[in-house]
Amino acid sequence: MKKPKVSDEQLNRIIKYLAIIILSFGIVLLAIQFNDFWGWILGAIRAVIIPVALAYFSALIIFPLIKLLEKKGIGPRGFSLAIVFILTVGLIFVAFYFLTPLIIDEIKNFFADDFPTIVDYITNDLRDEFIFGGDLYDQIVAYVNETNVIQDTIDQFVPSLIASLSGLLLPLLTAFALLPILLIFYLNDYEVISERIRTIIPAKHEKNAAELGSRLNQTVGAYLRGQLMLMLVLGAVATIVYKLIGLKYYFFFGFLVGVTNIIPYFGMIIAAVPPIIYTFIATSGPGPLLVLVVNVVLQFFEGNIFQPLIMSHQLSIHPIVIIISILFFGSLFGALGVIFASPMAASIRVIYRFFSDLRKEKLKNNVAGANAP
Amino acid sequence: MIKNNRPRIYSKFEINSILFYATMILFIPLVLVFTYVFNIEYSFDVKIFLLYLLGITTVITLTGLTIILVKRDKMKRHVKATYITEFYYLVTISIFGVLGAIVLYNYLGGPQNYIPNIFVILLVLFVYILLRLGRKYFNLKYTKKK
Repeated sequence: MKKPKVSDEQLNRIIKYLAIIILSFGIVLLAIQFNDFWGWILGAIRAVIIPVALAYFSALIIFPLIKLLEKKGIGPRGFSLAIVFILTVGLIFVAFYFLTPLIIDEIKNFFADDFPTIVDYITNDLRDEFIFGGDLYDQIVAYVNETNVIQDTIDQFVPSLIASLSGLLLPLLTAFALLPILLIFYLNDYEVISERIRTIIPAKHEKNAAELGSRLNQTVGAYLRGQLMLMLVLGAVATIVYKLIGLKYYFFFGFLVGVTNIIPYFGMIIAAVPPIIYTFIATSGPGPLLVLVVNVVLQFFEGNIFQPLIMSHQLSIHPIVIIISILFFGSLFGALGVIFASPMAASIRVIYRFFSDLRKEKLKNNVAGANAP
Repeated sequence: MIKNNRPRIYSKFEINSILFYATMILFIPLVLVFTYVFNIEYSFDVKIFLLYLLGITTVITLTGLTIILVKRDKMKRHVKATYITEFYYLVTISIFGVLGAIVLYNYLGGPQNYIPNIFVILLVLFVYILLRLGRKYFNLKYTKKK
């Protein structure tokens, strides 16, 4: 008798998977019918997730300091927490107190001194220096004047920008207002909360869940602390180098390097664009090539010296994974999603590694069990 | 005879001594680099400021040296497999130190045209020293592929 190409077992499996796919489509189709309801639910979840995630990430940075104080005998928890909290708030306040006026002064000076020169350059001198020739410049200007394209774009862009900003501003403000309160309670009952979460988990998964939680805290915490150090060091180095090469507004541009470094790979590029554009237009100071070289060297140092040192080999995430996570979490949570894309990618990597280790261990145990007499 | 390829692991005493000497050597440039950013040179006479700084560095060096010598036995008993955090500290102060050396050169009235040349030479020198130190004392084979 001829053997059938597909066995009953395989056929059963195919039918099972097909049924799952069709059912999933059915559920998605059904869910789409209640779009408003899901939007409402997702909005509520997002409103909770953002402040809680911010508190969790901040706790991962601060908690080792509290542990260190307790190890040195400074306790109870409330006292060590108060010391760390006052120091952190004080540090943030001092940084704002000294740096904000400097940066605001630079922005004010830019609009007072350089902005009129830039406008004057665009309206009067750009035609003569336009690299594609004066004719093309005239055609572009004529097109812009005829179609009113700039005004139309502004009319479309500004309301949507205001709407998205106001949509972002409220959750952000709420998150930042709630952050200190959440953080105090979370840090004070850090172990209790972990223990309570453990009690929810079924007994047979408790050990694995505890192991995963500990790995997550360790890895993501180290990643965040490293990233914070990287931002501070690179921001300071960029500010000093910008001043050394004679770049005006070195504080603002250096600050930009530090802040944008929170976005891996894109951050340094985003930070390099404004000073390079500025040096193209500025009449004095360093040329754009020098600023570009400085940024390339900084990028080299960041990628080859600081990143491997601060983020050890275990924490390194493939660039493609980071880019995908930036796009994905950015579209899900907006600006905050972009900022926290890398810790989230690090978390996913830890989870993946954990389950892969678990599978390997299971396989090893099975082999050992089969070989046992 | 079997050759022993295992690297020697140094105690916290040796590592802390390296870190302390490096910090003290780079102390003046480290302070200068931050005063330069905040334009402190306009508030003080640079030469007097440098003189004060030299005095402070000497006092801190002597105090630190005494502390290290007093705690010598205790630190010699502590050993770690690798000293990544300590090496990271060394790299950070070295980078700021190199920049501070440029600032010092600038304060002392050196010609501006030579700044990039001095910067590159200093950077290469520091990278070489750091790689050697990392390999020998911090047990960090930085250039080795994983």
